[in-house]
Amino acid sequence: MGRRKLSLFSAANYTLLALFGFTMIYPFIYILVYSLNDGKDSMLGALYFYPRQFTLDNYAQIFDNAKIWQAYKITLLRTALGTALHVALCTLTAYALSKKTLPGRTFFTFYIFLPTIFSAGFIPYFITLQKLQLINSFWVYVIPMLFSFFHIVIIRTFLQGIPEELEESARIDGYGDFQIFLKIVLPLSGPVLATISLFIGVAHWNDWFTGAYYVSDKSLIPVQTLLQQMLTEAEALSSSMQRAAQQGGQTINTGAAGSTPESLRMALLVVTVFPILCIYPFLQKYFVKGVMMGSVKG
Amino acid sequence: MRTNPLLKRIWRHRLLYLFLLPAVVWFFLFSYVPLYGIQIAFRDFRFSGGFTGSPWAGLKYFRQFFDYYQSSQLIRNTILISGLKLTIGFAMPIVLAILLNEIRNLKFKKTLQTLSYLPYFVSWVVVVTLMQRLLTPYGGPVNDLLVSSGLLKDPIQFLNNTSWFYQIVIGSDIWKNIGWNSIIYMAAIAGIDQQLYEAAKIDGAGRFRQMWHVTLPGVRNIAVILFILAAGSLMSAGYEQLLLLNGPATAAIGSVLDVHVIGAGIGEGRLSYAAAVGLFQSAIALVLILAVNRIARKVSDVSLF
Repeated sequence: MGRRKLSLFSAANYTLLALFGFTMIYPFIYILVYSLNDGKDSMLGALYFYPRQFTLDNYAQIFDNAKIWQAYKITLLRTALGTALHVALCTLTAYALSKKTLPGRTFFTFYIFLPTIFSAGFIPYFITLQKLQLINSFWVYVIPMLFSFFHIVIIRTFLQGIPEELEESARIDGYGDFQIFLKIVLPLSGPVLATISLFIGVAHWNDWFTGAYYVSDKSLIPVQTLLQQMLTEAEALSSSMQRAAQQGGQTINTGAAGSTPESLRMALLVVTVFPILCIYPFLQKYFVKGVMMGSVKG
Repeated sequence: MRTNPLLKRIWRHRLLYLFLLPAVVWFFLFSYVPLYGIQIAFRDFRFSGGFTGSPWAGLKYFRQFFDYYQSSQLIRNTILISGLKLTIGFAMPIVLAILLNEIRNLKFKKTLQTLSYLPYFVSWVVVVTLMQRLLTPYGGPVNDLLVSSGLLKDPIQFLNNTSWFYQIVIGSDIWKNIGWNSIIYMAAIAGIDQQLYEAAKIDGAGRFRQMWHVTLPGVRNIAVILFILAAGSLMSAGYEQLLLLNGPATAAIGSVLDVHVIGAGIGEGRLSYAAAVGLFQSAIALVLILAVNRIARKVSDVSLF
């Protein structure tokens, strides 16, 4: 009796979770299929798991587009620079705050914690960005994202786990403070630095808001903002085209091939999403630990 | 010669203070200067005058907001959407973690976990684009499937439709965050003493009763702490998601405070008014965090501070 109930539950559980897993991955499979299918053909619908009329034309066209290249350049530049600076500066802060002997440590920790429970809100922040001349400049992507309280806490917690004796023995060997940080502490911090790099890298890569609201110069727009602009533009365009395609049905399909705004958008989406999707599974072991440290001790 | 021991200690740590310096400057500029700038909610802000130089306006802008004929609607929509996220959206990761914990096949479990993190790593722009593509009535796979399986006669317009708006908002929020938010619960469950399960089994508890009496209490503390942190967001519904999902068709039920602040402030340039609305949001958030923290400490002995 008990055993039978058990296996029934297990079967239901496996099925439910398999379905759950499918809904997590399928949207990405679908855009991949759509981007590899002829654009006009895709408008007929009934496209599910594999391209009906395989083509690389959509990709060829987006890689041929100067606007997209420029946006990609901005995204890559801000992600690389923003991640490197963020990780470096947060690590320095976290190292200082990890030292229990530091006079004023509690004050400094509170100083960076307070803004997380009471924020000024959007508008005073926006005016501050204006006063600092960051609006409509490339640096608005980098400087306002240099620090994060939660990232500092995660790194600090990790650093506190490094045995004190290691630093002590290095001191006896005549290492200075800076040498200890550089040669003892940093080499041991690989996992946590990888985690934070992933967190902040993804945040930079995915940020569309800054480009949409703080930047008007078209040459400074990152890919995500470009996608957001296409989202609103494409909505009206593609649905009216699709209606036409469905009503006209066969007549449009016969002989006609080529990309549509929608198929180009899907190709751009794939190019934007897949770099991240290829990286994160390898860092999974680390960021799972990072999340735990941040939440438990934060 | 006598030296002050505190000064000596400070001098010994001079390198660490140097390490702290960028953070001190940055948090001053990007957190404390805006905090100081909150006063523009009480002033007629002019850019030339700055935070302190603009003329005093008292509660004018707060009154303007509460007199605005849509203000109660904005507050209602905001609380409804974030309330749904704080309940259903908050519970789902716990459910997922408990169900995953019952899976004995480690490979299956690991694969599912990896898949579940996937949507967390893409932006809201991507999520909304995906939904638009999957849910379109013009050849989208979801409608295709529903129609061809006979569940629907005609395709449904899911987006920009008031009868589906909340389902889409909550559903996409869960889809994006469920896996990521379950990480912490998975960790809490992994930390439960196995002897508790053994003891429950001896007492005759079946699988469900073990889940109820052992697993669930095992995640209780961390759930309380995360809820305290989340409670502060009751007055913000998630501006990124709603900026992208809400349109003229759904404005009556989809307009929320966060988006209103951005629209009035950056869109229309009514900075003092928007700052007043934002301050109203922040103040309620702070009160909520403190209140929930207090209640949690009384009821369950778990609190944040």
